[in-house]
Amino acid sequence: MKALMSVAALMGAAGILLLAAMTVGIVPSNTVRLIEGYMPVQVIAELTLFVAGFTGLSYMMAAMGMPFPRFWQGILFWAFLLIYLKFRIYPPIPFSVRAMYGTISLVAIFMWVSANEEDWKKFKQPIMNVLDAKTGGAKALRIGYLVIIPILIGGFSYNAMVPKSEEPIELRTVHPAPPASTKVHGKTYTLQTSQNPYRVNPEGKYDQEYSNANIVEQGMGRLMKPNANPWDKDAQGYLKYVREGGEIFYQNCHFCHGDNLNGRGLHAFAFNPIPANFTDPGTIAQLQETFIFWRVSKGGIGLPNEGFPWASVMPPWEQHLTVDEIWKVVLFEYWHTGYYPRTWD
Amino acid sequence: MKNSLRLKARAFLTTAFGVILVSGITGGLTFAAETLPAGFKKGELAAEPSADMIEAGKRVYFTKCVWCHGVDGAGDGPGADRLWPRPRNFNQGTFKIRHTASGELPLFDAKKPTPGQNDLFETVTHGLPGSAMPSWEGILTEEQRLQVLSFVTTQLVKDRKFTDKQSESQTVLQLGDLKPIPATEESLKKGAELIVEKKCVECHGADGRGDGNAFNLKDDWGFSIQPANWHKCWNFRGSRQDPYNVKNIFRTFSTGVNGTPMPSFADNTTVEERWHIANFVNSLCEREADGTPLSIDQLTDKPKVNFVLSSGVILENGEIPADPENELWQKRARRIIAMGGQITHKPRNFVNRIDDIWVKSLYNDKHIAFMFQWDDRTKSVAEGKLPWPPTSVNIDVKEQDPKTGEEGSIASRQNNYAVYNDAVAIETAVKWKELPAPIKPRYLFGSNEQFPMDIMKWEADGSLRAFKGTGWDKDFEERDNYEESSKLLFSEWKNGRWTVIIQRPLGNKKDQDYDEDTFFEMGQYIPTVFFAWDGHNGDAGRKMAVSAFYYTFLEPPTPKEAYIYPVVIAVGVVFLEGWILMRRANKRKAKNV
Repeated sequence: MKALMSVAALMGAAGILLLAAMTVGIVPSNTVRLIEGYMPVQVIAELTLFVAGFTGLSYMMAAMGMPFPRFWQGILFWAFLLIYLKFRIYPPIPFSVRAMYGTISLVAIFMWVSANEEDWKKFKQPIMNVLDAKTGGAKALRIGYLVIIPILIGGFSYNAMVPKSEEPIELRTVHPAPPASTKVHGKTYTLQTSQNPYRVNPEGKYDQEYSNANIVEQGMGRLMKPNANPWDKDAQGYLKYVREGGEIFYQNCHFCHGDNLNGRGLHAFAFNPIPANFTDPGTIAQLQETFIFWRVSKGGIGLPNEGFPWASVMPPWEQHLTVDEIWKVVLFEYWHTGYYPRTWD
Repeated sequence: MKNSLRLKARAFLTTAFGVILVSGITGGLTFAAETLPAGFKKGELAAEPSADMIEAGKRVYFTKCVWCHGVDGAGDGPGADRLWPRPRNFNQGTFKIRHTASGELPLFDAKKPTPGQNDLFETVTHGLPGSAMPSWEGILTEEQRLQVLSFVTTQLVKDRKFTDKQSESQTVLQLGDLKPIPATEESLKKGAELIVEKKCVECHGADGRGDGNAFNLKDDWGFSIQPANWHKCWNFRGSRQDPYNVKNIFRTFSTGVNGTPMPSFADNTTVEERWHIANFVNSLCEREADGTPLSIDQLTDKPKVNFVLSSGVILENGEIPADPENELWQKRARRIIAMGGQITHKPRNFVNRIDDIWVKSLYNDKHIAFMFQWDDRTKSVAEGKLPWPPTSVNIDVKEQDPKTGEEGSIASRQNNYAVYNDAVAIETAVKWKELPAPIKPRYLFGSNEQFPMDIMKWEADGSLRAFKGTGWDKDFEERDNYEESSKLLFSEWKNGRWTVIIQRPLGNKKDQDYDEDTFFEMGQYIPTVFFAWDGHNGDAGRKMAVSAFYYTFLEPPTPKEAYIYPVVIAVGVVFLEGWILMRRANKRKAKNV
């Protein structure tokens, strides 16, 4: 037990030191990176490790005869959570959301410190001590609080009343409901029944299983299957169409969606929100191929009213590309990210 | 083509050798054991990567790199012709960012990804900011990055060999051992003198905005190339995602940029002089008002953007100053507006030379004024008439073909576009109040007739015009009747930077009628978009740079209540404290009794 706890304590101390150093900037703030696409899981895992670490720390201190008062544990843990939310999570989350998390965690901490009568008593003891002011130190502290609290609250309310400008929060529908059908270059495509004409097996038949066997492998780097190189001179059928789709992508789309299809193209930083990141499991991996065909063809201006606030500069690509080219680009995007399009069944 | 390049490379090497020789003789007094430039040491060529590494690298290359760099590594992939700068042609072994002496191959060792000792690995890791080459860190593993470089250096570099001791040498800048000189005022002063003495300003311009010789410079392949703008250090190719680090500038200055007119200054400067120059160049990079570096967004390697442009109030009917040096403008906080190419409508702008604008704003009881400042290497005033009406959209104009070969590519056409007017425009939503929250019309040119956009455009010929945008695919409508109420307060192009101040009415305040033009209401968020044109880039009409939606926010003056209520609240808290203390005391008394 003690060994386990001391490991946890070490881990907690190391973690808090590293986090502090990264926040202050003593070590580069990307020393421990948030892995793209896995951020929520990573954040939960990190917090779990921290909690384990703190438990260990508190146990070790108690074992060494310097127990850490419950009162300060509660306050420091809350402060830690706030700092973690503010400085660790990237891209930064707005204050209003942090305030929400802060309130929830405050409630949780109260539940923790008041889990039983004895704990609660221990927790509120320091407060009572200051209120009663039986010693000289407590008396000085009480006077200090009496002066500081009104000043602080007055200051906060002044701050709140001075005109300020914070960017209004916008909620947006990321994947608005598609229409039943879409008309591109004079032809109507029913989204439920249309198929990508280039997703074909060597016999020329639509075959998602065949194409799925030839897409890029998942895992770090997302590299192509060793024997499925679209740039092979003899590449035919599906792989040849992938290459043609890639050519169109790197002539038209990468400016925004990026060389690695992660939404970090040359122009990306000018837009808000930044362009869609196809390598994120939340975008094309969640959608049917015909949905992408519709979005590419009609662009931001083709978004339905539910798509408000239409903060998309995605052009209606039917103005620049043929139907065949659009299908090939869609084919390429799935190949390069290594995702399967979702099917209707 | 390839042959002539090889010849050129050889000629270049010979001259480089000549320069070293001559400097060795003239600098005879200072030469050490060898005639190495100061700060350099002889290095060893790295061993050839294993066949496994090369084979594995091929797989990485054909998944990720081939799309721009091409099947043979000649920088002619499908994406190449619409890019500027063009993707690197690996065949000649010419690489820009190195620790090695001018003309030498960069450092690359497939076994050693040590910082400062593996130039190519760092280029792939950090990308080349300001170009389309992204950072591959976090996408490819360290191993994969070494693999793909093993493939590139052995299979795609064709004219030179990284392991050939006969023809190749490595003279390595010992950047790790050299200690930067603190950027004191004295050092900066020396640096400022040295950049004139060493003729840096001839290309980089008097203020370092890259406007010195903007259109006559070519790289080894004959493509137009522009000197770096020292004020945008985040766009330095060699910034290694650490743009305010003076060491990066020192390195580039010491080793030169192979394949470009940027020479190495290692032979005609001392190490100390190079630190002074690097300190000075670094000091020019844009900073916050208090001198701290701008915070750089890790995701894009560009300065972080705040989407609220707040306009400062001038009280008591004060005039909005027309002089940018006026204290009111000087004190006003500025905002960076990130710009991207307009690639939604024809003619599309794949290469936007204006990638940011600095904006400030002031208002009084009648007018609002915007001060735009942006870097543009050339002042462009139209020589001829625009071949199409600038207001129209989706015109049938020949735009850049996707696949042209080198001759027709964007990179080779950079310095011979017809010249149009430099221009800047601000677009604000007209009936922003009637739009449901969050207030925003359809990007980019307004929703429809019902929710139009109000556009004010200044052009370098001195004109200030007003338009109405009524929808994505609609031509702009001119609004002649509005132009007289707006005013150009200031416009000047100086050493590679435009400063333009335009003033317009706040709108009809009395009856808040805003059917025609935007009513700027205090304390509200007014959707705003910015456009910019670089006349030497062939920018005109919808071929332009665009921003995302920002918000113009007219800062209200601090209300009197803000001074009264907090005091009242504080007094209330004091009473509350007294009550709590009394309660506690009574309780204890009761207990004791």
